[in-house]
Amino acid sequence: MSGLLHFAEHRLQEAALIFMALVYTKRVLWLLKFPAGKERQAPTGSQNTPKWKGILYSWAIIGMPWVMESSRSNPFLYAQFVIFHIGVTLAIALSFIIPYAPGVLENGTVVLVFQAAIWGACAVGCIRIIRRIISPYMRAISTPDDYFSLILLTVWFAFAGLSAPNRPDQGEGPLLAYFFLTAFFLMYVPFSKISHYLYYPFTRFYFGRSMAHRGVFPIPRSVKPPVYEAAAPVQAEATATTRSH
Amino acid sequence: MQALERSYKSQKVIERMGKKLNRQIAGSLAACVHCGNCTESCHYVLANPGDPTYAPAYKADRVRKIFKRHFDWTGRVLPWWVKAGSVFTDEELEELKDFAFGKCTNCRRCSLNCPMGVDFAVVNRMARGLLVSVGVMPAGVAVVSKDQWEIGNQMGVLKEDYLETVEWMSDELVEALGDPGAAIPIDKPGCEIMYTINPREAKYDPRTISDAAKIFHAAGESWTMPSEGWDMTNFGLFSGDDELGGVVARRVFEKAIELGARRVVMSECGHGYRSTRCEGPNWAGMDVPFAMESSVVTMLRYLHEGRIKVDKTRNTASVTYHDSCNNARSCGMFEEPREVLRHVVTDFREMYPNRAENYCCTGGGGAMSMSEYTPRRLKSAQVKADQLRATGAKVVVTSCHNCVDGLADLIRHYKLDMKVTQLVNLVSDALVIEKRVAVPVARIAAALAGRRILVVDDEPDVRTFLTAVLEDNGATVFSAADGDEGLALARKERPDLITLDLSMPGMDGGKVFEAIRKDPVLAKISVCIITGRPELRKLIYERDVPPPEGYLDKPVNEETVLTNVRKILEVTGEHKAH
Repeated sequence: MSGLLHFAEHRLQEAALIFMALVYTKRVLWLLKFPAGKERQAPTGSQNTPKWKGILYSWAIIGMPWVMESSRSNPFLYAQFVIFHIGVTLAIALSFIIPYAPGVLENGTVVLVFQAAIWGACAVGCIRIIRRIISPYMRAISTPDDYFSLILLTVWFAFAGLSAPNRPDQGEGPLLAYFFLTAFFLMYVPFSKISHYLYYPFTRFYFGRSMAHRGVFPIPRSVKPPVYEAAAPVQAEATATTRSH
Repeated sequence: MQALERSYKSQKVIERMGKKLNRQIAGSLAACVHCGNCTESCHYVLANPGDPTYAPAYKADRVRKIFKRHFDWTGRVLPWWVKAGSVFTDEELEELKDFAFGKCTNCRRCSLNCPMGVDFAVVNRMARGLLVSVGVMPAGVAVVSKDQWEIGNQMGVLKEDYLETVEWMSDELVEALGDPGAAIPIDKPGCEIMYTINPREAKYDPRTISDAAKIFHAAGESWTMPSEGWDMTNFGLFSGDDELGGVVARRVFEKAIELGARRVVMSECGHGYRSTRCEGPNWAGMDVPFAMESSVVTMLRYLHEGRIKVDKTRNTASVTYHDSCNNARSCGMFEEPREVLRHVVTDFREMYPNRAENYCCTGGGGAMSMSEYTPRRLKSAQVKADQLRATGAKVVVTSCHNCVDGLADLIRHYKLDMKVTQLVNLVSDALVIEKRVAVPVARIAAALAGRRILVVDDEPDVRTFLTAVLEDNGATVFSAADGDEGLALARKERPDLITLDLSMPGMDGGKVFEAIRKDPVLAKISVCIITGRPELRKLIYERDVPPPEGYLDKPVNEETVLTNVRKILEVTGEHKAH
C-alpha cells in the first residue's frame, strides 16, 4: 500500500469526519435555536395515539411503504429509494471496513454482497439522474446542488463498487478515488441536501407528535369501495363561472 | 446595496419571516430533498398535467428560497447553488401571493405524503400571513378579514340580523313541532352546551340552525346559542394572520366562560372546528376551561346514548361522504361522520380515495372568497368531480360549510346530478319525534304569494333563474337588464324587494343601490344584493346609506334564494313595517 493510499484511508478520513461532526453540531444548534411550537389543544380524533407512539410511527414511516399513498402507488420509486439507501449505508461501511477491518473482505461472498448492493445503488443513481433531467416536474424543482449531489453519489458508488474487493495490489486507482471522494463527500454533505438525514428526525418528530395528538396518525388508509354504476361523464360548462359578475 | 433597493413591503416580509419561523417550519424548509414524491398528491397538479408550477415542492420553493437566502448559511454563502433568492419588489410579492393563495388550498395532502415530514401547508400558511401583514392579498381575503375584525364574523352578518334569523328559525321550529319548548335559547347561562355556527348558516342556510335545534330539543339537551362570539369560523386560519386567529377564538372562548357553558359545540364546519378546537387555544394563548367538540361527535353521542331515535328509511337516496381536509387531515375526524351516516341513510357509498387520502373539495383554504382564482379552482376541481361521479350517488354529504360551497360550485360546473347536504340535515330528516306537526303545504308552495319582486341583473341566465324560482313560489316578478332600467322599473312598480347585481354595464349596482336608498319613495324597499364579487361588499356597506337587507354571493341555488327572500320579506320587512 502506498503512503498516499494510507493517508487517504486514515488521516484524511479522520479529518473529514471531524470536520463533518463539527459542522453538523453547528447545524443542529442552528435548528434548535428556533423555538418549538406549543400545542395547547386537547387531543382530537379517535385514533387514541399517544404522542410518543406518533413520533415512533412517524420515524418508522419510511420503512412502511403501504402507509403513504406516494410510496404505495409508486413501488418502483420506493424500490429505488430502498436500493439507493442500502447502497449508501454499505458504501459508508466500506470506508470503515477497508482501513479498520480488512479481514471482512477476504470472504468472497461478503464482497459480492457489497458489490451487488453498491452497483445496484449506482444503477439507481443513474436512473435518478435521468429522471431528474427528463421529468419537467423534477427539473423545475431541482437546484445545482440536487444534480451535483446525485452525480457525486453515483460516481462514488462506482468507485466503492470497484474498491469492495480491497485489492490495492491490483492497482490503487479505484481505492484512491474512492477514499478521496469519500473525504470530499464527508466535507460537502453538511452543506448539501444530502444532509437531509440530519433533519429527518426533527421534521418527523414534530410532525408525528402533532399528527398523533390530532388523531391523524396512524394514517387511516382509503377503504376501497365496490365499483358503483357511475353517472355518465358530462362536459364542464364552457364558461368558468358566473362569479365574474 | 441590494438592501437599499428593496421595497418597504419586501423588507418587512423578510424581517417578519424571521419572527414567524419556529422549529417545525424551519425544519420543513431545510429538509426538502426535492424527491418529487409530493407531486402527484396535489389536485392542482393532477388537473394541470405538464405544469410543474403547481407541484407542492415547487410552490414551497418560492418560500424556501427566501428562507435559504436570509436564514440558512447554505443560501447565504452559495445562493445560486441552492437556488436561494430574496424578494426586492412588490411585483415579486404579488407573484408569491399567486402561489400562496391561488395555487394551494392548504389541504395538507402533500404533507401526509412527504417522506421527510415536510409540512408544506404550514409553510404556505406562514407565507400567506407574511403577505397579509404587508397588505398583499386577494381582495376577498381583505374584505373577509376586515369583517371578522370589525363586525365579529367573516360574512359581515350584523348582530341584529343574526338574532332575527335565529328567532325566525326558532318560531318556525316551535310551529312545526307544536312545542314551545323547542324554542332556541339565546344567552342562557349555565347550559351544558353553547352552540356556535358558521355565519354562512345565518346568511344562506338557516335550515341547518333549525335542524340542529331540533336535534338538541329531541335529545333533551341543555343548550344555548350565544348573542356574541357565535361565529366559530376563523379567517386567521386561511389568511395566516395569527393575531386575527387569536382575537376570533378568544371571542368564542370568553363568551362560553361568561355563560358558564360546560361544552362548546361547533356546527359542521371544517375550518371552524380546526380553528376553534385545535388552533384557537394556541393563537389565543389560552387554556380553555371547557370541552369543545364538533356537532358530528355530539350527534353520534346522542345516537349511542339513545337520546335521539332515527329512522334511516327517511333518507333513501344514495349518499357519499366527502372528508373535509381540516376535519380529517388536521383533526383526525374520519369514522365519526361515517358512523352517523350509517344510522341515518340506507345507501351509503364511499368515494375513492377517502379518509386521510380524500381530495380537497377545491374550495378550501379560503378559495371561495378569492374570485380572481375561480377559473383555476374550477379546473382543479376536475379531480373531485371524477371522484364524485364514480360513486353514482345522488347526494354528497360533508361536515364543512366551505366544502358545501366548493362542492356545490363544482357540481354545477361539471353538471353532476347531485346535491350537497350536511349530516345535521340528514339526522334531522331521520329524527323520530312523536309530536311532529307538518308544516302546511300551501304555505311552502306559495311562500311568496302576493309579493312583488324586481330582479336586476345583466346576465340573462341569472335573470331567468331568479325569475323562475320567485314566480314558482308565488311572487310577481319584474326584471331589468341594467341599472338604469332597474331604477326606472323600481319607480314604476314599487316592488317589495329588489334583487340587485353589482357589476353591470351602465349604471352599476352600487350606484343603483345608493339611488334607491336616497330616494324617499324607494328607500323603504328591501334590497338583496346578489353578486359574484364578494370583494365589492365594502363598496356597498361603506356607503353613507342604510345597508341592504340581504347580500348573497353567486352562485346561488334555489334554496338559498328562497330562504333569504323569505327572511327579508317575512322578518326584516315586518320589523321595518313596525
